[in-house]
Amino acid sequence: MKVLLPKRNLHLLLEALDHRMEVVAPIRAEGVPVFASWRGQPLALASNPLIPPQEFLLPQRDVLFRYVQDCGRYTFEKVSAKPRLIFGIRPCDLKAVAVLDRIFGKDPLDNPYFDRRRSTVLVGLNCLWPEPGCSCAAFGAGPEVDELSDLQLTDLGKNYLVETGSPAGVLILREHPEFFIEASEKDQAEKKKALRIAGEKLRGGTSPSVIKAAIEKADWDALGRQCLRCGGCTFVCPICHCFTIIDVGVPDGERLRCRDTCILSGFSRMTSGVNPRKSQGERLRNWFLDKFEYIPENIGLLGCVGCGRCSRSCLAEIDRQKLEVLR
Amino acid sequence: MRAKTLADSTKQSTQSLYIQKLVIAYNGNKTTEIFMEKVHTTCIYCGCGCGLFLHVENNRVIGASPSPLHPMSRGRLCIKGWLAGEFVGHPERLRHPLVRQREMFVRVPWEEALSLTATRLKEISRESGSESVGILTSAKGTNEENYLFMKLARAGLKTNNIDHVARLCHAPTVAGLGYAFGSGAMTNPISSLKEADAILVVGSNTTEQHPLIASYILKARARGAELIVADPRRTQIADLASIWLAPRPGTDIAWINALQNFIIQEGLTDEDFISTRTEGFEAVRQAVSVCTRELSERVSGIPAKDLKEAALAFGSAERGAVVYAMGITQHAAGTDNVQALANLVLMTGNIGREGTGLYPLRGHQNVQGACDMGALPDLYSGYQKVDLAREKFAEAWSTSLPEEPGQTALEMLESALEGRLKGLLIVGENPMMSYPDRTRIKKALEALEFLAVCEIFPTETTDLADVILPAASFAEKDGTFTSTERRIQRVRRAVPPPGEARAEWKVARDLLRRMGVAADYSSAADVMDEIARVTPIYGGVAYDRLDLKGLQWPCPSRDHPGTGILHSEKFSIGRARFRAVEHCEPFEAPDEEYPLILTTGRSLYHFHTGTMTRRTSLLEREVLQPTVEISPDDAKRMNIRNGQRVEVETRRGSICLEARVTQNVPAGTIFVPFHFCEAAANALTAQALDPKSKIPELKASAARIRRAKG
Repeated sequence: MKVLLPKRNLHLLLEALDHRMEVVAPIRAEGVPVFASWRGQPLALASNPLIPPQEFLLPQRDVLFRYVQDCGRYTFEKVSAKPRLIFGIRPCDLKAVAVLDRIFGKDPLDNPYFDRRRSTVLVGLNCLWPEPGCSCAAFGAGPEVDELSDLQLTDLGKNYLVETGSPAGVLILREHPEFFIEASEKDQAEKKKALRIAGEKLRGGTSPSVIKAAIEKADWDALGRQCLRCGGCTFVCPICHCFTIIDVGVPDGERLRCRDTCILSGFSRMTSGVNPRKSQGERLRNWFLDKFEYIPENIGLLGCVGCGRCSRSCLAEIDRQKLEVLR
Repeated sequence: MRAKTLADSTKQSTQSLYIQKLVIAYNGNKTTEIFMEKVHTTCIYCGCGCGLFLHVENNRVIGASPSPLHPMSRGRLCIKGWLAGEFVGHPERLRHPLVRQREMFVRVPWEEALSLTATRLKEISRESGSESVGILTSAKGTNEENYLFMKLARAGLKTNNIDHVARLCHAPTVAGLGYAFGSGAMTNPISSLKEADAILVVGSNTTEQHPLIASYILKARARGAELIVADPRRTQIADLASIWLAPRPGTDIAWINALQNFIIQEGLTDEDFISTRTEGFEAVRQAVSVCTRELSERVSGIPAKDLKEAALAFGSAERGAVVYAMGITQHAAGTDNVQALANLVLMTGNIGREGTGLYPLRGHQNVQGACDMGALPDLYSGYQKVDLAREKFAEAWSTSLPEEPGQTALEMLESALEGRLKGLLIVGENPMMSYPDRTRIKKALEALEFLAVCEIFPTETTDLADVILPAASFAEKDGTFTSTERRIQRVRRAVPPPGEARAEWKVARDLLRRMGVAADYSSAADVMDEIARVTPIYGGVAYDRLDLKGLQWPCPSRDHPGTGILHSEKFSIGRARFRAVEHCEPFEAPDEEYPLILTTGRSLYHFHTGTMTRRTSLLEREVLQPTVEISPDDAKRMNIRNGQRVEVETRRGSICLEARVTQNVPAGTIFVPFHFCEAAANALTAQALDPKSKIPELKASAARIRRAKG
């Protein structure tokens, strides 16, 4: 299904949807675009937030269940996911969701992830404004949405071209016909043109083969000495999904699933103190190999979508594409 | 086969995805009004002052992330920053006011706890004189809180006995740079570092303790700047330096003077700057002329060749910057050490310009602010001297104020031991862990007639309290922090405090009222308005002006944009002052009995006494337990293996912990981090004080080490 959404109707549509589910969208906080609950604020769609919307599928801290002790017996209270709609997800981040689906979908299915995933409606936004450092095209992750969004939007100036990607998306259009107008072939052509221009802007960016070659010849020892061990690359990556599980509270408390990072030595250190990835260089190399070798081998998709966030948040300012040692 | 299974399971999971969402899209019913918000605030850990977002859902902090537009963080944080929200909701938070009844703590209403605190302190003051009570306030608190506790001590308790942990970190900076430049603060904004051509880092483990500042230093390095690091330990930044100088702990003046001697000999001084902007250079020229290369080599252990190379690199740089931290200040000669560095930047004219300057790195996120607010025994807010500003403040607060300067933190505790100080209010400090010579500190706190502690978690210090007041953490209150680059920034309430915990500014306000001092503040902003009225350097600060970038003081008026680089045209004291300084041996030199030098410090993954970081799971996992770093030579000589339990002993006490044999410490030196209560480094350290700033010598104690029994 293809329809047009006049831009003035966007807020009305989100308001209508807000009655059914929590609407999350990029808004400005202190001038910075961030994904947060939308409460009628102007949307900030010009640039992609630093923290990807994956935080709503795999929160930094997620309560798996609460445990309560009563007369020597423990009872467990599960927390169920809330219905949510995430608006304005870029193609790169949607592609990353596809990767996570496969990772967490492998047998045995990861229920906490899919609880959230199932109750989250994804609204994609085709990316017409790639930023410096973006290289989604070469990674098959943009600039057009081709993965599992329920609805995808393309900015055509006055209107958004809205296309459905799932039955849920169709249902949303059917439920709110008052906000949409018919789309024509011309709109479709306009979308193609806009995406072609965006694709041209993305030319000259890096590609998986460039990074793979850089991994081969990188001086990991020297890079490890420069790494400031902040874990930023793993916290902003839309595909990084490693977690640790902790119980907080005695006798009553919560079992939490928290984001973890392979940049820390404690991540791979055994109880005996032995660490198979001893040096920071080895840990950094593992991070790259995971994305470009291990994940592809396991699920058939690349573990990187070329969003460029890791370079932007690297405290040591290591260029994640060239992997050159700074001086 | 494998691929098929995978495809199947993916299909299955995707199909089920549709159904649930159809239900939501068709018949969803949003029952709860729970939002996911991102609240912009300032990090709680080090003095970098990074801007970050706290992710808040259902009144809980569920994450943190950097602010991409913030001038310091620029979308980056260190590992502690990324995890800054975790301790906030920890179940061990103090939730209710507690009062000691015999050996038990009993929950009481706030009214009772506050009245008891006010009454007891007042009683003691009435019976034994106002110098028998004091307040230790907190570099972790906001400016507003520090100001109010400063007011509470002076206007409420009529004593100048007010101090805080700056006494243990940058008191020598406040004293030393105050004398040399007229202002004891960082001379330039941090971003200025990236423009430097040569950077000398002295006694600062920057990559671990101020990672964001290190990122600016490394930016300069990548640009081609010379990086010179002086540290007895081979830290990460020492490893990345082009020249690493490894002085013996406590010999800084010897090598810094020799460095200056080289610079003078090579004709690399800025004579123009010296003659137009400074005074007293001749005395320094004479004093350093005796610091020959041989002398410095013998005293500090730094090869003269390396020192000369450093002198040439720094002296010939167009823009040179000097960064220092606890390695300079935590010595009995702390103030002289600071002066030695001030002499260095003055004689090379490296001040007042972009890319130059002297950068004291402050450890706490608001230790700068706590000093600015006059939480010091001899200064009111804005570094106004007690004797000169007393009348002004008496008028502003409509009350009488004490004349005599008060006692410093360690002097107060010393008085407590002698029975002269009897009542103490400690706000957000843990002297039992962070002050030197723990055994003595414990005795001092136990000797008090009354001790009230305001804290967020139970600590080794709250264990000794008579009254415990539960405080709000940084995520639960409004206020401002001032970073090490003098940047005043907002702290915002993201979640409500746990239980009955309260923001400390409210505690201070309520105590002020109970002591009969007017305190009509309905918000933290009201307090800042008063601060601005009585503090010239904060004169133009108001909450409506504090956006993402904050304001750098001095900011004297509402229309003033704040000041990035200090001393660019002139020094506030007219001419900057040289002062000749001489090396003297540390208080405790190694001897037959205690042959090693013990130095203490921090780890990247923990912060101070571990109250917050040891309750953050990833950080705790990273560094689980205390270790003592020892060089392979010493380890071999003493038959100590890596990972073995050892006993480290000094004249004050001993601790048992694991040995870590590493090339990163030189032979003859051992290193113990001070985060761990199970092996408290400060059970070992001494209370030898710098006579000028009263900072204890935490960086050099004579010690011995042996395999632990059993």
